[in-house]
Formats: sequence, structure tokens, C-alpha cells
Amino acid sequence: MFKVENLKYSYPKGESDVINDISFDIAKGEIFGFLGPSGAGKSTTQKIMIKILENFEGTIYYNGKDITEFSDEFYEDIGVSFEMPIHFSKMTAMENIDFFLKLYKNKGDIEALMRRVDLWEDRDKMVGEYSKGMKIRLNIVRAMLNNPNMLFLDEPTNGLDPMNAMILKDMVREFKEAGGTVFITSHIMSDIDQICDRVAFIVEGKIIEMDTPRNLKIKYGKRSMTLEYKENGETVTVEFPLDGIGKNEEFLNLLQTKKIETLHSGETTLEDIFIKVTGVQLKDAE
Amino acid sequence: MPNRLWILVKGELQRLNKYNMTSVSILVAFIWGVMLFFVNADILATLLPIVILLDATMMSLMYVGSVMYFEKSEFTISTMLVTPVSNSELLLSKLLANTVHNIFSSALLIAVFVLIKDVQIHYFLITIGIIVATLTHTLIGIVMAYFSKDFTGALMIVMTFSLTMMTPYTLLMLNIIQGEFWEIILLLNPIQAASEIINAGFVGFQITYKYYLSLGYLVFGSIILYIFYALPKFQDYAVKNSGV
Ligand SMILES: Nc1ncnc2c1ncn2[C@@H]1O[C@H](COP(=O)(O)OP(=O)(O)O)[C@@H](O)[C@H]1O
Ligand SMILES: [Mg+2]
Repeated sequence: MFKVENLKYSYPKGESDVINDISFDIAKGEIFGFLGPSGAGKSTTQKIMIKILENFEGTIYYNGKDITEFSDEFYEDIGVSFEMPIHFSKMTAMENIDFFLKLYKNKGDIEALMRRVDLWEDRDKMVGEYSKGMKIRLNIVRAMLNNPNMLFLDEPTNGLDPMNAMILKDMVREFKEAGGTVFITSHIMSDIDQICDRVAFIVEGKIIEMDTPRNLKIKYGKRSMTLEYKENGETVTVEFPLDGIGKNEEFLNLLQTKKIETLHSGETTLEDIFIKVTGVQLKDAE
Repeated sequence: MPNRLWILVKGELQRLNKYNMTSVSILVAFIWGVMLFFVNADILATLLPIVILLDATMMSLMYVGSVMYFEKSEFTISTMLVTPVSNSELLLSKLLANTVHNIFSSALLIAVFVLIKDVQIHYFLITIGIIVATLTHTLIGIVMAYFSKDFTGALMIVMTFSLTMMTPYTLLMLNIIQGEFWEIILLLNPIQAASEIINAGFVGFQITYKYYLSLGYLVFGSIILYIFYALPKFQDYAVKNSGV
């Protein structure tokens, strides 16, 4: 659906390449996660893909056609949410949405969307009076109001409470189930780990690794078992390799003789893998 | 798709109202009105065209400057960029909406003084004068917004422009600068040219070739500025102020 080939970009005043020769493609119906620390180039990549930034090197195809050949009709097809929620603050949520809705041929079911993000009751409030979370949710409605085929979501969970983040992820999943394709970025891995079909790790404008979260976990995950037990009033932690654990005498002995407190398989998170692969810590100072 | 242009213009006008720009311009018209109300008929005859000129030129620059500043501070332009609207529709709607809005106060002033002070005007010529002068200066204001980084920056540019342009206008008006040569050269100054076409709307003004020169200059100058500068640079401006 989307194919990015040898993309390079530097901002007009910046000297070095912010995007440094990246290639990837996104299949129809896929949720593609773009993960990396702040400043890695996630937003820049999205801005290039949605035809906001021009003068990049490389080629980008949408449905087999070079995106530079598309007219503004391109935007009938896609929905975009930017990193920060953007609205006319002195207009109500509904006035905002109605204004944008009129600019599209395709019109989604606004009431359903607004109810879904729990803003329907507050639709006649000024957006300026909305909380940060409400603005973010309204941003999602704005991105989806034209029933797009493809969604671009830049850090959509950033600033949402866990409950609303869950609703958002459900919406993204349902969007995919209805045939939609999604490009989603985050600097918090755990946030979108579960919904992505495939993820790319981006650091300093380069893609370091790209695969399904499951394959990455198999490839880089620690295959181990961690056991915590009580001994003389103190908690002792020991780790065993997962391979051949059924015949590991020491492990079996502990299981039978000690008071076990916890027992975990060494399920590695995507975040651990990211750090391992890229050598870069994800959490930023903010 | 003219329909979409209409939606955009309506949206801009609605926002001008929501962001209190309309109240501000009514207030300004009111202040001008009160000021003019108490001067005697002779002074009014000289002062009203000047007030209309200031309203159509400097005030147009100020209004559109502030509107674009609000827009920049909310980054809403980035959202507009990802709708099916084209850059020319966006820019044109901004130009049209702000022109309509900026004409409003001049029209209000004229109407009031025609009704209560019996000022004599040529309706057709004053309409042309105000529309062309306002449109031109609104466009200049938009282009100025391309260059300004913040509100103070915008204000500085508008002030510098206005002072630079008002000075020769004033010198000419006070006969400190004289002669046909200067009168023609100074028509290059858009405020001077605007003054020529606005004055033509008041009864008693002699229309000469300078009127047509000014009108042609403002109309074609605007078209050229729009096609060769304002429109091609719009994407850059929009992206720079998209904030995302
Ligand atoms: N408008 C801009 N002009 C110059 N440099 C920019 C601009 N926007 C972003 N950058 C730089 O480009 C790099 C990538 O930024 P960005 O794409 O926003 O990263 P991310 O979204 O992954 O946090 C950063 O080094 C940032 O400083
Ligand atoms: Mg970003």
C-alpha cells in the first residue's frame, strides 16, 4: 500500500540528514509501528509520507503511484493526527469537526466517533476549555472523520490516560479489521507493542531493525526462567536457562523444597529488545 | 471547486468573528466615527478620505497580520494542509475573507457619514477604491506574515512599512514635495496609489491619468504578487508554521 524507498531528508536549514536512507513498506490492512526515541525522525518521516515536506530524496509510492504525482485528492484517502492536538480553540468541538467535514467528499459517522471517544456530551464546549486528554481524543476524531483508507498517527497515545489509551488502541484495531492500514509512531514501546503487526526501530534517521514483535522477541528475547523464593526471611532471586529446564536439577529442587514467591519466564519486552538492538535508551527526559 | 472555496471563506469569516476581530474592527470604526463627528464640515472633507485610506491600508495590514498570528499560534494551518483543499484555495479564501472583513469598517464609516453629515460621494468609485485598496493591502499583509517570526516581528514589519510609506504620502500632501515627477514616482507607493483611487470616490476630486495609473498598478501589482510570490511561497510558510 505504501512503499518507501531510500528516503533521505534534511531540513532546509539543517546541515545533516535527519532521515538517512530508510526503506520500508506497509501492506494493506497492516498496522505498522514506527518506534524510536525523541528526535529519531519519526514525525519527519510521517510529514514526508503525507506530502507536507517536499524536496526529499528517494521515492514513495502509494498504491503503486509516486506520491508526488498525487493532487490534493490524496487527502480524501488518508487521515492524519499530528503529534500535538490542533484545533481552533475558540470554537466548539462540533464547530471544528463540522468545518473540516465539509471539506471532504467522504463523510464518516461523527456521532459514533464522538461517542466512541466519549466526547459527544461535551461536543458544544469550546475546545479551549478541553483538557489535554480531550483534545487528543478530538484529534483522533478529526483524523477519522473522512472514513480514510489509511491512518497516520503520530504518538497518538502520548498524554492519554491508560483507559483512553486502551480505547484508542481498540479503535485502531477495529479500523484495521475494517480493512484500514495504519502508520503509527511512538517513543513508548509498551504502548503500541500489542497492536502492531510489524515494527521498525528508528534511531538517528536510520532503521536499525524491522520485523513482527513476535519474531523480534524470539530473535532477541532472553530464553530464561526467573525464580524468587524466601530463605531465612530474605527473598532470593535465581535465573535458569529455558532450554532443558525440565531436567534442570537445581531448578526442580528449588521448586520442591522452597517457598516460591514468584516464577516468571524471561518474557522480554519490546523495549528491552530496542535497547539491546540499538544501544539507545528510549525514555526521554520529558 | 468554487463550493469548497465558499466553505473556506465562510469558515475564515466565522473565525474572525469568534476570535473577536469583528468586534475590534467595529470598535475602531466607532472611534474614527466619534473623532470625525465633532470636526467641522471643512475639516471633515479632508479628514474622512484620510481616515478611509488609513482604514483600507494600514488597518488592513494590521488585521490580517493579527489573524495570521492567531493562526500561527494555534498551528491550525497544518491541519488544513492535510485536507483535500489546495494551497490556492486556502490562500484565496484567506485573502477574500480578510478583504471582506476589512472593507466592513470602511463601509460602515462611509455609510454613517453619508447619512448624518451629508458627505457627497460617488458610490461606484468609492466602492472600487475601497475594494482595490483593501484587497491589495490585505495581500501585502499576508506576504508580510510570511516574513515575521512572532507577533512583535509582525508588528515591526507593519509599522516600518506604514511609516516608510506614509512619510512620502504626508510630504506630498503638505506640498513639501512638489511637482508632477514626484507625484508619479510616488504612486509606486501602494498607500499613495490607494489614496488616489479612494479620493476619486469623493465629489470634487479631479480624475486624471494618475487615477488610472494607480488603479492599474494596484490591480496588476496584486495579481503579480499573488501569482509569483504569495502562492508559490505559501507551502513554505504553512510548513514552517505547522508546528508539528
Ligand atoms: N522544522 C525543523 N527544522 C530543523 N530541524 C528539525 C525540524 N523538525 C525536526 N527537526 C530535527 O529533525 C530531527 C528529527 O525530528 P523528528 O522527526 O521530530 O523526531 P521524532 O518525531 O522521532 O521525535 C531532530 O533532530 C529534530 O531536531
Ligand atoms: Mg515526533
